[in-house]
Amino acid sequence: MSERDRESQGAGGTVYLVDDEEMVVTSLESYLQLETRHRVRTFVSPERALEAVEEDEPDVMVADFMMPGMDGIELLKAVRGRRPAASRILLTGYADKENAIRAINEADIYQYVEKPWENERLELIIHNAVERARLIRDLDARMEQLEEAHGELADLRRRLVETFL
Amino acid sequence: MRARSVLAGAAVGWMAARWWLAGRRRDELEAACADLRLEQADLVNSARMATLGSMVAGIAHELDTPLGALHSDHDTLRRALERLQDILSDERVDESELDEVRRIVRAVDGVHESSELAIDRMVGLVESLRTFGRPDGSERDVVDLHRALDDTLALLDHRLGEAVEVERDYGDLPEVECFPAQLNQVFMNLLLNASQAIEGAGTIRIRTRSRGERVRVEVSDDGHGIREAHLERIFEPGFTTRGARMGMGLGLLIARQVVDRHGGEIEVESEVGEGSSFAVELPTRLPREGTEWRH
Repeated sequence: MSERDRESQGAGGTVYLVDDEEMVVTSLESYLQLETRHRVRTFVSPERALEAVEEDEPDVMVADFMMPGMDGIELLKAVRGRRPAASRILLTGYADKENAIRAINEADIYQYVEKPWENERLELIIHNAVERARLIRDLDARMEQLEEAHGELADLRRRLVETFL
Repeated sequence: MRARSVLAGAAVGWMAARWWLAGRRRDELEAACADLRLEQADLVNSARMATLGSMVAGIAHELDTPLGALHSDHDTLRRALERLQDILSDERVDESELDEVRRIVRAVDGVHESSELAIDRMVGLVESLRTFGRPDGSERDVVDLHRALDDTLALLDHRLGEAVEVERDYGDLPEVECFPAQLNQVFMNLLLNASQAIEGAGTIRIRTRSRGERVRVEVSDDGHGIREAHLERIFEPGFTTRGARMGMGLGLLIARQVVDRHGGEIEVESEVGEGSSFAVELPTRLPREGTEWRH
């Protein structure tokens, strides 16, 4: 990706990488550091990642499926409850249809990526996931504005009615 | 007088014939015994290979993670190199490019860290395989049993999954003279049984203690336990509660034979619903006649 392409990508988003295997998060982090402008945070403990979500909203969370204590689907489900706009990506070594379906149904994930991952493909998925999170947040903000405007209009209408009738 | 000597002669002849026959039968028995010993050694060996075979998929999966990391690292490294070459192709490097160089160095640093972890993991795995898969298991050696247990656990990591927790309560053990590949098979069988006894989540506890000239290794689980009626039969050949599959039902029989051969003992305690505990006690030195297979 050329310098100009990267600039057109904007400042990048906040990306959480969660895998109990340190080698996986470090490897992915290094790639994203080199090739993108995302702010990357890595976690080897899903519980820690969930704590961090409270303070610092991610645009994207990439979570491994098999982790001790809390599996990736549980983690993404919990993230969905706390930060609904964040895009959720499940990374897994198992080409396991059952879990994929569970992940889509329970955690409403954005993408399901099999290990071993292809750096460039994952980069693209993360890029789109950041865009998606921003659009959703933007949409939410606009909806709120609309509702506010709607409230004001209703108020105005009520006062008009009161004045003239 | 003559009749007496004839009688005596007949008696001597009869005894000689008996003696000759007995000798022949003894030779036959000894030959059969030697055959049996060989067959038994073959059986242990093929059971060991069958265990290893059934674990191939798991071992391949264990390699997936470090290989995946290395694959990604290699790609990142290639890109980093391209960037650096790009920057250096100019006559001079300006300030903004220096920032880019710093970024590249940070990424390469990360790649180095993750590659190191991945390589260490793969080296460890291959080492475990090597200890476990020694060709005939007949080499004796003086080994650290904790290392042997850890090697076996490394191969089982995938089987155990995330729901089974392994607690190591290792005491201070002297090195033990043994047939390491065979002892690994014993540990493998006990650990496999323990993991199969656990449905869903559970804990396997490995406790080792030294007792004078002997060492004790206990493998306990909090799984479904063994019924009392079964408890007496678990060391019998072919006994299994897991359905008849090739190579099944021999694990504990082999474990006991290997432990016997080491001049040790294996015992079991179990309570239905509470779990089971297998204890292997071994002398730190092999008995002299321990080099032969004995009943």
